[in-house]
Order: sequence, then structure tokens, then C-alpha cells
Amino acid sequence: MAADLAYDALADPVRREILSVLAERDELSAGELSSYIRRVGRTAVSSHLRVLRTAGLIAERRTGRFRYYSVDPTGPVQDVIRELQELFQGSLDAAKVAVENGATAVAVDRERPGRRAM
Amino acid sequence: MAGLALTAEQHVDAPPGAVFALFGAGTGAGWVFDAACDRLVVGAAVTLRAPIFGAAGEPVEILGRVAALRPPSRIEIVHDQPWRGRLRVLVDSAGIGSRVRLIADLDGAGLNWLMRRRGFAVSDGELAGTHPVGLLTSKSGPASVFASPTEHVAALAVEEINADGGIRGTPVRLVVGDDGTDPDLGALEAWRLVKAGCRTIMATTTSATFTRAAHELRDSGVLMVQTVMNEGGIGGELRVQLGERPEDQLRAAAGPVMEAAGGRRWFLAGNAYIWPRVVHTAARRVLAEQAGTVVGESFQPLGTRDFTPLIEQILRSGADVVLSAFVGADLVQFERQCLAMGVRDRCRTLAPAIDEPTRERIGDDASTGMFGASGYFEELPGEANEAFVRRYREMYGRFAPPVSSISESVYEALHLYAHAARRADEDTPAAIARELRSIRHDAFPRGDVAVDGPETFRQSLFVAEARPGGFSVSRAS
Repeated sequence: MAADLAYDALADPVRREILSVLAERDELSAGELSSYIRRVGRTAVSSHLRVLRTAGLIAERRTGRFRYYSVDPTGPVQDVIRELQELFQGSLDAAKVAVENGATAVAVDRERPGRRAM
Repeated sequence: MAGLALTAEQHVDAPPGAVFALFGAGTGAGWVFDAACDRLVVGAAVTLRAPIFGAAGEPVEILGRVAALRPPSRIEIVHDQPWRGRLRVLVDSAGIGSRVRLIADLDGAGLNWLMRRRGFAVSDGELAGTHPVGLLTSKSGPASVFASPTEHVAALAVEEINADGGIRGTPVRLVVGDDGTDPDLGALEAWRLVKAGCRTIMATTTSATFTRAAHELRDSGVLMVQTVMNEGGIGGELRVQLGERPEDQLRAAAGPVMEAAGGRRWFLAGNAYIWPRVVHTAARRVLAEQAGTVVGESFQPLGTRDFTPLIEQILRSGADVVLSAFVGADLVQFERQCLAMGVRDRCRTLAPAIDEPTRERIGDDASTGMFGASGYFEELPGEANEAFVRRYREMYGRFAPPVSSISESVYEALHLYAHAARRADEDTPAAIARELRSIRHDAFPRGDVAVDGPETFRQSLFVAEARPGGFSVSRAS
């Protein structure tokens, strides 16, 4: 199944880095992506993109002579990664709201451990 | 550990100090900042309740520890459950406010765990040329608190077995299943281990999962070994139940705890499944012999988070001793609420399932003075245990969860299994089980042990009293 291929694809650190970069941005061209991935050259990035695309981890869109890449929104691995990413982002969004609405740590009594779940 | 780094970022209109102070304060500032942490210091236990399965699902507890701290700009948490990883919270000055970033590691094992939980088939890799052994454990749900070091300890044992030539020249390969502290999921995971090629499964789960999985796999021909403390009762040709028995634990600790309490009236409380029920039954038997009386009894479902009505009942009962047959996160929560509601001023507590990882999440304040009884504590003297703990720390670092009777039991069970497999006249689960049922071994971390039939595990028991940072341990008389 696709997951097996996906794990093979994820076995390489450069490919994981590419996915991390794409997970944070909607869509990047191969050239833009290369500027984020410093440790290998543009040709190597292209071949890694091919492996990721074959594994169903990323989607490719062509416009004229440019190719744009994004995380494949339909892949199960991507679902999991994206949801986890959203989970972390959601926690920061909640922290922002709490801070800006005036939550402070002063009101909490740390000496009474029974008050909160561990 | 290599893996994906997931990042999230947010600008907050408040200075870094104000943002930093929210961490662990429990003010409703999102699940990361609402981490449960008694004291924000390096080495302190931290629990993050991540709503991984949405608002409707039970949150998954990420069990970790503060690894680095630089107020007001950096908090680094390393965690071992449900996967090994690191979470960094970075707070920088940005204009009049702060830029807050989270960087979370997700390795292959973590991704596999998440995928499986969503029902996707995930390969365990190539098992050909290995002797696969399943480890059915709890990487999530209430039992993950006590099960947290078991995977590490099992890997340590497998490394030693393989360094010693494996089994008949074939290296042992561990395949891990997570029951999520749920017998239904446990049975499915046990089947997955069998289909992956495991002919033996070591279980460190609750008895609720073990008995269910043992029943479902009754015609599979697979050897199942329950390594942790349990009530026995289902041992047989292919079912071996090691671990401490409730009656032995109670017999060892009932006297000392009544002496410490200065009274003999007991309230029996525990989770509503087979092991706590057998613990209570054993307690009634032992207390009858030792002139103790029972003034109340209650069972609460696994996963209970509010024990207020039960604790009020305990306070009204006039008990001197609470028998706390809760496990994992339930034991943590119950004991913390007992401290908050004043039970500590009136009663002493005996918790047969208290172990090192559970004690540190109960916290020093709520755990001090609690009694436990088992065949192993990390503090035990002796060269074998010192070497074991040293190797564990060398492999997993100072921030890995402490070892305990529950996790150490799988280390011994794997070594006993390897001895039995090397001695068996053929490489079949039945032949290995036959040897396992009468095996003995000296100089394990817990001392000398002997298996005598499918459900008798001979070992010394120790009584332990929790103190800040650990246990004071003495051999049961």
C-alpha cells in the first residue's frame, strides 16, 4: 500500500526536509524549494521531488515551463502530518488569545497539585 | 533522532516574560502551554494532553520531561510516549510583543503510531531472517504512565540477547503493539503482531487487555506471556503469567501500612476491571488474618478524572488506610486529589501498582508516604541492578523515565524466553513454553527468580515507602 512507499520516501533526511518546508508553505516552485534546501544542489532536489511524488506525498502542478510542488492533501501520511501541524498551531493560537485577553500565571497556585490533571 | 520537524509560529502582543510565565500555569492557554508540570525546572516531569483525535476523542498524553530551560526564551521538552521526540518552545522579542515558535520532532516510529491509530496499514519492516517477538504494551491511555519505559527496557534486553548470539543463531526482533489501554484495540494489535510473524507476545498491559487478547488468540498457537503484576488464573500450555500476585503484595505491605497509619480500618478503592477486583478480594482475605476491617469499597471506571464523590465517601468512612488499586493515570489523578482534599491528613495509602514512573507523575507532594510492594524497585542494591540501571541510562539518557517492576519484568521475561528457546528441543512456541514453565535464573536486577508452572513466579518482594525523589525500600519480612 501507499504507506510503505511513503515510509521509504521518508527514510531520506533531504526528503524529510523538503516535506517539512512544504508543510509550512502552500506551494513552492522547484527553484524556490532549492533555496530552502541548502545541503544538496538543485538537480538532487529534483530527483528527491520525483521520489516524493511517486510515493504520493506531494502533488505537482505545471504552469508553462514552471512546476510547483505542494504537500499532497489526499495522502494519508500527509493528513497525519498536516493535522499534527494544525494541532500545534492551534495550541499557539489559543495561547495568543489567552495572553492578549489578560491571562497571567499569578492567579495559579502551583503548590496545589490536585487542582490539575497530570 | 532524525525525523520531520513540525513548526508553528504566532505573534503575541505581550512581552516574552509574560508568555513564558504561562507555561504550566493552567490558565487555558492551549494544550501546549497548559502542560501539567508541578515545578518548571530541568528534569521535572511534564504531561501534555494533546487532542490528537479531536475535541470528541480522549486526549493523548505526551509524557515527557523538561530537558532545557532558559527563561524567558526557551523551554525544551523531551518525551518518550507515545513516541520519542523533542518539543521546543521558543519565545523572542518582536517589536512590542513576542514571536512564539513551537518546533516538534516527529520520527518514523511516531508517524507509524499516528498512522496506525487512524487505521492505516503500516509495515513493520523486513522480518525475514529474524526471530520476531511481539511486545504488547500501552503507549497511550491511562496505562501509558506505568508502561512508559517498557519499550526501552525490552530493546535493551533484545540487544543483550542478540549480542549473546540471538536464538539458535537468529537475531531477535521486537515488534511493538499499542493497546491504547483498551482491550478491543489490544486484541486487534495482538492479531497484528501475529500476522507480522510473531509467535510469542510479551504483554505489559492491564489484565483487562491481556485476558481479552489471550482469549481472542486462543487458536493462534501463539505463546503469550504476561510479564507484569497480575491476578493469575488463565495460565496454561501457551499462557504464562509471571509477575507479582495481589495476595503476596498485600501480605507483604498490610502490616507496615497499618502500623504507619496507627489504625486497622481500610477503605478499598480501585479501577473497575479484573485486577483491582482480585486485589480487593485478596485484601479482604489478608485483612481477616491480620485483624484489619473493611469500612468501604468502590470501583471507578478506567479513565476516571474526577474522584471527588469517592474521596468524600472515604473521608466520611473514618478509614485509617486506603487501598488504592488504581493504575496509571487514574492512580496519578486519584492520589493528587486525595492530597488536595485532605485524605493525607487522615489516612495512609497502599497502592499495589505504584511504581517509579507513576510516583513521579503523582508528584513528591502527593506521593510521599504512600506504600507499594513489588519484586523490583530502581533503588534495589546489588551489582546486577546497578549494571542494569547504568546500561539503561547509557542507552536512553538521563531524561528517560525511571525503570520499575513493571518495565523491568519485560527485561527478565525476554531473557527467560531466550534461555528457554535455546534449551527447547525444537523451535516451536509449545516447546519453548514447556521450558519456560520451569526455568530459573540467578542474579537478575531483582534477584533470583524461578518459574514454577504457568502462573507461579518465585521472587523476593520488597515494601517501599515513597519519599521525595524516589522510594525507601526494604525487603518484605
